[in-house]
Amino acid sequence: MLGLRDAIPALIATGTWGLVTGIAIVKSGIGETLATLMTLFVYAGSAQLTALPLIKEGVPLWLIFAAGFVVNIRFLIFGAALQPFFRHLSWPKRLGVGFFSTDIGFVLFMGRYGEARRRPDPRHLWYYLGIIGPGWLTWNACSIAGIYLAAAIPASWSLEFAAILALLSVVIPLVSTRPVAICILAAACVAWLGQGLPLRLGLVAAVVAGIVAGVLSERLSKEVSRK
Amino acid sequence: MMLDERGWYVLGAILVLTLCSLLTRAGYMLLGDYLPLPDGLRRALRYAPAAALTGIIVPEVLPWQMGDVPTLDVRAVAAVFAIVVYWKTRNSLLMIGGGMVAYWLIRPWWPF
Repeated sequence: MLGLRDAIPALIATGTWGLVTGIAIVKSGIGETLATLMTLFVYAGSAQLTALPLIKEGVPLWLIFAAGFVVNIRFLIFGAALQPFFRHLSWPKRLGVGFFSTDIGFVLFMGRYGEARRRPDPRHLWYYLGIIGPGWLTWNACSIAGIYLAAAIPASWSLEFAAILALLSVVIPLVSTRPVAICILAAACVAWLGQGLPLRLGLVAAVVAGIVAGVLSERLSKEVSRK
Repeated sequence: MMLDERGWYVLGAILVLTLCSLLTRAGYMLLGDYLPLPDGLRRALRYAPAAALTGIIVPEVLPWQMGDVPTLDVRAVAAVFAIVVYWKTRNSLLMIGGGMVAYWLIRPWWPF
């Protein structure tokens, strides 16, 4: 219950974001049934929105996999941080905790129990479930509502642009340090120049450029502060 | 449900994306005891999502084609406006709403 209470403000954002994603999937030309399947199975807003322009273009599936994987890489890092708290659980339970993990769940959990020394502690699991359970319900309910409302929304509203803005609203708050800003700047330049390349190789190049630029500027700023 | 070729393709895309979700979200939870992630790699991976999202957004708001003179798309203007809204309010929902309103208002007047 504590988890649910902490998660309520975030649930409003989750719901709206789910609604926008649901509408965007249908507006990109995917039918309602497949769109519902996508929401239930993939359960990853930014990966879904990232995949939409790629699916529309009909790129090879491996590229959709690669793009989705890279956007989801943050979960690998969250997983590495959460794993010590839940390692005592049986593997089906760990699979469940992992698959239903969310960004918000991670942030709230680490904020409350990140420093906890007593492990395992049953409160950890219940708190986490209190965040991710309602999160799953809210996301899917709003997403499916969006999918079936989409037909009532005229194409001239260009709501697919809202999906791009939604992605932008994920990126911009990340710009909190100089290395992240430089990473995004480098990725943006390479993505702009490379958009004519086949197979969306410009996207792959942008990811590589962004990581290299971020790591280099992180090293540089450390050296400068040491002097 | 009958699926045409396009339907199968979309279904394939859904399956590979599901695999992505499983691998990234549950992979470490399941195999973490056997898979130490080196610190350097972990730090480098922190930059990957921001770079990938940027790589998707930029061609959508600033498209150009071989042989054409690049023009400023109205979406780029609306996106910049959305960023300003976020910068002033720190609210993502206002940012999405503001960007959409700017897009609707500017589009009829835009010269390109």
